[in-house]
Amino acid sequence: MTTPFSPPLYMQRYQFVVDYVQTYRPRKVIDFGCADCRLLKKLKFHRDCVELLVGIDINAAALLKKRRTLAPLMSDYLHPGDGPLTIELYQGSVTEREPCTRGFDLVTCVELIEHLELVDVESFSEVLFGYMAPAAVIISTPNAEFNPLLPGLRGFRNYDHKFEWTRAEFQAWAQRVCDEYGYSVQFTGVGEAHGCWRDVGFCTQIGVFQRNYEGLNWSTSNDDRLEPSVYKLLYRVVYPSLCDNNIYHKTLLNEVMYEAQHLRQEWLRSKNTDPYNNPHVHYYPLVDAVQHGAVGGAAEQQEPVYQQGGDICVPLSCVWSSPRVKGLCGSLQCLREKLQDDSVMRLSVDGMVLILPAADEDEELEEKEEEEEEEEEEEVKTGVADSAKEDWDEELASFGNA
Amino acid sequence: MDPKQPPFPGPPYGRGVARSISEPLVGKVEEGGFGRGRGFLMPISEPTIGMGRGAVPAMDIKRADIAEEMPELQAEEPEVTPVISKVDVPRPAESSLLSMFRGMGIELGKTWGRGAAPIGRGAMGDFGAGVQSVMSPVGATALGPEKEEETISFVGRGFAGLGRTALPHMGVGRGPTSPLGLVSPIPAPSYMAAAPSVSEDAPAPPGTPPKEEVKPEPVGFLGRGFVGLGRTAMPQMGVGRGPTSPLGLVSPMTAPSSLPAVSSVSEDAPAPPKTPPKVEVTVETVGEPLKKAGTKGNPITIGSNYIPICCKNEAVFQYHVTFTPNIESLSMRFGMMKDHRSSTGEVVAFDGSILYLPKRLDEVVHLKAERKTDNQEIDIKIQLTKILPPSSDLCIPFYNVVLRRVMKILGLKLVGRNHYDPNAVVILGKHRLQVWPGYSTSIKHTDGGLYLLVDVSHKVLRNDSVLDIMNVIYQESRESFQDQCTKEFVGTIVITRYNNRTYRIDDIEWSKSPKDTFTLADGSVTTFVEYYRKNYGITIKELDQPLLIHRPKERSKPRGKVITGEILLLPELSFMTGIPEKMRKDFRAMKDLTMHINVGAEQHTQSLKQLLQNINTNDEALHELGRWGLSISPEILVTQGRTLPHETICLHSASFVTSSSVDWSREVVRDPSISTVPLSCWAIFYPRRAADQAEELVSTFSRVAGPMGIRIERPVRVELRDDRTETFVKSIHSQVTSEPRMQLVVCIMTGNRDDLYSAIKKLCCIQSPVPSQAINVRTISQPQKLRSIAQKILLQINCKLGGELWTVSVPLKSLMVIGVDVHHDASKKSRSVMGFVASLNSMLTKWYSRVTFQMPHEEIISGFRVCLLAALQKFYEVNHTFPEKIVIYRDGVSDGQLKTVELYEIPQVLKCFETIPNYEPKLAFIVVQKRISTTLYSYGSDHFGTPSPGTVLDHTVTNRDWVDFYLMAHSIRQGCGLPTHYIIVHNTANLTPDHLQRLTFKMCHLYWNWPGTIRVPAPCKYAHKVAFLSGQYLHSEPAIQLSEKLFFL
Repeated sequence: MTTPFSPPLYMQRYQFVVDYVQTYRPRKVIDFGCADCRLLKKLKFHRDCVELLVGIDINAAALLKKRRTLAPLMSDYLHPGDGPLTIELYQGSVTEREPCTRGFDLVTCVELIEHLELVDVESFSEVLFGYMAPAAVIISTPNAEFNPLLPGLRGFRNYDHKFEWTRAEFQAWAQRVCDEYGYSVQFTGVGEAHGCWRDVGFCTQIGVFQRNYEGLNWSTSNDDRLEPSVYKLLYRVVYPSLCDNNIYHKTLLNEVMYEAQHLRQEWLRSKNTDPYNNPHVHYYPLVDAVQHGAVGGAAEQQEPVYQQGGDICVPLSCVWSSPRVKGLCGSLQCLREKLQDDSVMRLSVDGMVLILPAADEDEELEEKEEEEEEEEEEEVKTGVADSAKEDWDEELASFGNA
Repeated sequence: MDPKQPPFPGPPYGRGVARSISEPLVGKVEEGGFGRGRGFLMPISEPTIGMGRGAVPAMDIKRADIAEEMPELQAEEPEVTPVISKVDVPRPAESSLLSMFRGMGIELGKTWGRGAAPIGRGAMGDFGAGVQSVMSPVGATALGPEKEEETISFVGRGFAGLGRTALPHMGVGRGPTSPLGLVSPIPAPSYMAAAPSVSEDAPAPPGTPPKEEVKPEPVGFLGRGFVGLGRTAMPQMGVGRGPTSPLGLVSPMTAPSSLPAVSSVSEDAPAPPKTPPKVEVTVETVGEPLKKAGTKGNPITIGSNYIPICCKNEAVFQYHVTFTPNIESLSMRFGMMKDHRSSTGEVVAFDGSILYLPKRLDEVVHLKAERKTDNQEIDIKIQLTKILPPSSDLCIPFYNVVLRRVMKILGLKLVGRNHYDPNAVVILGKHRLQVWPGYSTSIKHTDGGLYLLVDVSHKVLRNDSVLDIMNVIYQESRESFQDQCTKEFVGTIVITRYNNRTYRIDDIEWSKSPKDTFTLADGSVTTFVEYYRKNYGITIKELDQPLLIHRPKERSKPRGKVITGEILLLPELSFMTGIPEKMRKDFRAMKDLTMHINVGAEQHTQSLKQLLQNINTNDEALHELGRWGLSISPEILVTQGRTLPHETICLHSASFVTSSSVDWSREVVRDPSISTVPLSCWAIFYPRRAADQAEELVSTFSRVAGPMGIRIERPVRVELRDDRTETFVKSIHSQVTSEPRMQLVVCIMTGNRDDLYSAIKKLCCIQSPVPSQAINVRTISQPQKLRSIAQKILLQINCKLGGELWTVSVPLKSLMVIGVDVHHDASKKSRSVMGFVASLNSMLTKWYSRVTFQMPHEEIISGFRVCLLAALQKFYEVNHTFPEKIVIYRDGVSDGQLKTVELYEIPQVLKCFETIPNYEPKLAFIVVQKRISTTLYSYGSDHFGTPSPGTVLDHTVTNRDWVDFYLMAHSIRQGCGLPTHYIIVHNTANLTPDHLQRLTFKMCHLYWNWPGTIRVPAPCKYAHKVAFLSGQYLHSEPAIQLSEKLFFL
């Protein structure tokens, strides 16, 4: 079946969900019938809102096969996100009640219900709207009225479809559900017909349900997630994020260290204490800091870097003026507190100045080609030394052309 | 050549002539045993083909292959048509393999622009094997084709029986086994009679030619029996922990393919084990392997980063799948096959037409499918075409896919072609870097069988995006911003923020920005900003950044779709990888980094073992491997190597045997060099601020020159008012032109200044040719080190003037040794440069150097011919004769290019000799490979260390298709024992493995810039030096007047 839609219809469905997520910013999202996890893979990039992403499917094999596509990327380690993100995959049925699926902000069921037997649709409605009761639900399903427009299609769009609803049938079901469980619904869709066919509606019809009442206040942290009692957990991955104290601390420390080292180098260079060291000073001047120093001079008085004995003292305020450090630490006070209980950093007594050594730790710059002055005992000679007596030509002749 | 009377063996180690003895047997083994029937029709269809290895053009292989296949199929499977045999023709690896991975649900194109994926190799190997057997019809001629057919089925039976019996005896080899001892565990009891006869021949010293009393008929026969051996021996390989000898290891490498009949026999009628005739093994052990084992030196136990893989499957079955009516769409083919997993089983490798299964289906299976678009019923015919031994080269590509999955299962991240561990990241906050430890892995089929080659790899990732660094560059140099960016980024690898792909930056598109639009695959148009917002939820912060261009290598996708065009990347979303260029020059920063990257042998083996343990304790990983019957040994390979004898270094009058640290830095400054050039007229240029250092240096020179036998006069001293490039160039130029006797120019430079260095070298190597020495003032600023520095500089100056420092004795007369290396510019825009260095005297102390520039994709050989002829001419001038033997060390040839070198370059070299009347020198052509992932460890008392210099390994891990060896000539200060791989592509000089190995080791002693051994033969290093200087700084060929001096040191 060649799809006449561009982008392909499934992409449009996913994009519909993604757009919804970008607009309404749910924190906890479930994708029912996630199959090859494609929607989840798209949603995981929206870390500015999504913190918990759960995929549920009855088919464990599909989940197992694709689960690793949901693993963090290299860049997630390079630049840990600000907010937390946990992704979980469960094997389970939409007709079963699973406690840990309650309290979500959004549940999506993309092209799911038509795969259920009609009797199961009832229990599905009860589980989803009655038991899980998320703040919003997106349900998409084929619009049977559109089918005549699909070339070469006989019967349902997929052999596994148990039914395909007309708009009226879908809307009737949706309305009933809303009345029963306290939701309201709006209908839309993706995949429009053109010209005179316009009034058959969208190829895929979508219902967006909103819960009419305030939900229960479920625990907000991902850390104390319930273990599933009915579903089977197949995969769980916690993304590195600055919410993790260890990661936060490490990241902050690195930025501070880099910035301080940079300021120290700058200062040393300006003092020109080591004229031959030029090629070795190649730390990038941090552009943002430089700009900041120039422009924001009025806002905060920049204290200068200074030398005290064998130490270079870098005032914390200089370090804090780096936007990277600032981004991590709301205030100078906060930065001081964060650094104070760290053993790597040497701080002045009042905690306002970072102390770095003036000289580099080692001046051993030459490669270790040095000769030891003392004569070593000559090694006992092993192996053949009489190579002078060898004649390979003769050896060759003796096996060769005899 | 009379096939019934095999000629006298001739030099047994050579590849060329020696093949005529060994090859017939090899040929036989493959042909008879595996029913390939390769070659026995050949004498008729291609009478000349057996003439020499190099002479057969690649085109013939195809034809030969098809022709050969037929008798086999007729003999065993009369109903099989030649159409099927066509399937066997080696096909271009790329497309079919690529699609095979697709079939397996693996996306291959993870990395763009990093060259071909390693998979190609397997197929290449197969190709090689094909060629090889084509070359070997001589023995086959001995048996009439009819006879051959008769015996085949019998053979099959013999094989099967043997296979069964031998199996239980395998997997015992623990602890060191002698070459002899090893042979014995292989044959099953029924073979005991054969074993003694093996021992007769096996330990034959290299001097004695192998006996050749074997009659043609048993030869064929024997080969066949042996195949069984080969197969059975494999499990043993997998487990064998102790040093295993080259002899035993030989066995599994037979077996490029096997005959359907073989296994049908083994299944239907397990024959009694005594069936195989006994005579066989004798011939086999002599015949099959290429003669590559040397004997000289002290045997030592060494380890290597090869891990034996055991194949538990009896065979892998290759099928040809046809769809009637034909289905064009690959994905549809995949889909239809997928629906029939109930018939094929879950474990499949399918490329759209060739299907590999670990299980045997019926000879022909018909399946039905329905084309969903028009409900057409499709008949899928699955026809068995080959039964492969599980270690077949054809299987290696999908084994590698399995391996990748295993690495993924272990939680490692694929970046480029290697896997890295996110849980073991080292963060270097000071440098805004992260070091990711990981592994590069591949499965290889070597002389010793199937191995997993694992190397420890580190990926350096930077916290900075390309945009961050662009900002820095902008701050530093506004006016040359674009040039600086091009310099900084082009050629570097970036990793994108939204996937794990790496891209090489080929260019920067300054006229575009993220606000520009591009067309998606579906035809819709969107801006970059919108695209990243929609798809990845990423908000682009900088709207005025340029775009990075990656131009993927043209890859034809299956079905002829060619991917072309550029990939545009956003600097803001691209992270830099690799060590920043500026950091490389910062010794201190590099130390922070190398601490993590340069792991010693102990750590190296530790992380290998960790990986093996992780694999072998992970049920999912084991299951994945088990699907194809693979299991990976928990122990790394430990085997027997040798350390070559120490060499004697000869100075002018002093000579001494090298110590075990192969360092003679003290001796060379204590005793006179072989010859020195008195330095009477020279000039030293220095900026005013370096006046003291210059003066100190000059006076130190005169103090240390005496013991080295150098006479040195006071120089002309030129103090420059500043250190600008222009100042230097002007005053050097005026000095050199005003004093034509000027022997040497010495420049003291302040700071690391590439531009100044380049200008001085251009002036002194091209414009006014004179040897020159540039010295960074830093290196002579420490008084306590000045003496030894001055000594080194003086030695270097002596070389540049044409002096000779030391040599080792090479007991070959009339020899010319040539080194060739190619320098490629990273930014790819400039041409590549070939450096060529040839010896001119018997002591190997006079060198002739040339350089040629080539455009990208231009053949290296055209320039090479010019250089070679000039070198021969020069040799004649010096010696009044042409060299009788020429040994060429050619650096920079990858495995995939070996065939090209053999079939194209070498004939050209030989042609080159023809231009000189009556001149036919003996030629040895040795490819030198430095960048290999093989690592050697010394091994003793359950502890791995670095092997001592001169360690050679010439079996087990060696290439099945070539005479080759691994030699670690240098002594290791830091890190792991990385040997250099030498592949003898051509050897009409008939140098024995011992000669080749020792000659190579000797050549590693002759690099005069280093009083010790180096990783590669000195002529290669010289060639590298001269190519680098010319490519990097001169951008042109150096003046011909300098060609007999080592001016480039």
